[in-house]
Amino acid sequence: MAATFHFSKETPPDSMFSDFQSLNKFQNELFGHLVDYAFQFLLEPSKSSRLMSQLEDFAQENGVGVGALRNVFKSLVSLPNVALKKSLSPSQVQEDLRNLGLSEEKAQMVSGHFEANLGSLSRGALGQTLMVNQLVDIEWKFGVTASSSELDKVGNTFLQLKLVINTGNGMKNVFLELTLPQFYSFLHEMEKAKASLEYLG
Amino acid sequence: MRVDYNSLNNLLKVPSKQELVSLCQNAFLYRKESPAQWPDSLIQSTSDMLGLSVAETQQCLLTLSHLIKAALFQGSTDPQEVITLFPDNFHKNLRDLLTKIIRDKMDSWRADAVNSQVSLPRLVDMDWRVDMMTSSDSVARMSVPTCILNLQIQPPAAHLDERPLAEKVTVELSEETLHTALDGLGKIRDQLASVAHR
Repeated sequence: MAATFHFSKETPPDSMFSDFQSLNKFQNELFGHLVDYAFQFLLEPSKSSRLMSQLEDFAQENGVGVGALRNVFKSLVSLPNVALKKSLSPSQVQEDLRNLGLSEEKAQMVSGHFEANLGSLSRGALGQTLMVNQLVDIEWKFGVTASSSELDKVGNTFLQLKLVINTGNGMKNVFLELTLPQFYSFLHEMEKAKASLEYLG
Repeated sequence: MRVDYNSLNNLLKVPSKQELVSLCQNAFLYRKESPAQWPDSLIQSTSDMLGLSVAETQQCLLTLSHLIKAALFQGSTDPQEVITLFPDNFHKNLRDLLTKIIRDKMDSWRADAVNSQVSLPRLVDMDWRVDMMTSSDSVARMSVPTCILNLQIQPPAAHLDERPLAEKVTVELSEETLHTALDGLGKIRDQLASVAHR
């Protein structure tokens, strides 16, 4: 087969072709369920156990072997996944599916799902992008010092911050205290950062 | 060693007002340390100036430092109130001179005391940088801005003549996180403004 594919530079392995051939054998309605499962999984990759039980139920109801179904399903999941990484368009996905041997109707079904979920899928992928020492939460408290062991009456304003940072190795809490002038210059700097972020974004 | 206001009478031997001011300044500076831990050179030069033994000098400086702490806590610049800190039979001229020095120095001492009071680690400096992420392992092409923030945080000094190393904390914020953080900071600013207007 001389067809070129958008999702891969080389011709995909034969197993992938045979997977899509077997997917062709499902009725459109059943195939629709499988596509639903695939996109649910792509949107929430952490819920793999839900997918497993869905596939088992599906296999039981339709009298298919679970192991075989899982293998076939892998190809169905991997194509939209790669398409997302390479930012392929829905029509390119449809073309690849057709070239892999999926019927026109079913290919359209998958690319339709792909188009509908493109926004949330890419948001999810961006959310997975590596962040170093990600800031998770800020808690703050501000107040006025009334008195201390050294000074009977004080009356200066302070601001205390707690930063929760995801170090990749558990959460780390950082506590710090700012005076009022420091707070204003901190706020000013952060607003400058926000302005340049919005300029880029 | 106990506080004894009679030992302050030794200060009458200080040759100039300037010397007395600097002695008071030192007594303020080392107010949290016992005289045994004061620098030897300071004790030595003071005992030479006053013609006292080291122990008598320490006694005198301890009392001076105690007086200054009491004045600082009271925080008043009203001479009538400062005078109440001295015993009734205290030398009148010395009392007035010390009262004047305390009143003159009060503002800078208060500022110093506020700055060195117990606190969480303080923010010393901050730097930020805005980047554009163009590609990653999960998406081949993207353009997502991100902000890196570096905070230098210094814990309070454990000892008078040391400067603890500032801890550097680097965090990365997404655009969303930055917005949320600024929302919170904006709330603080509004609250502060409403307190100021009251």
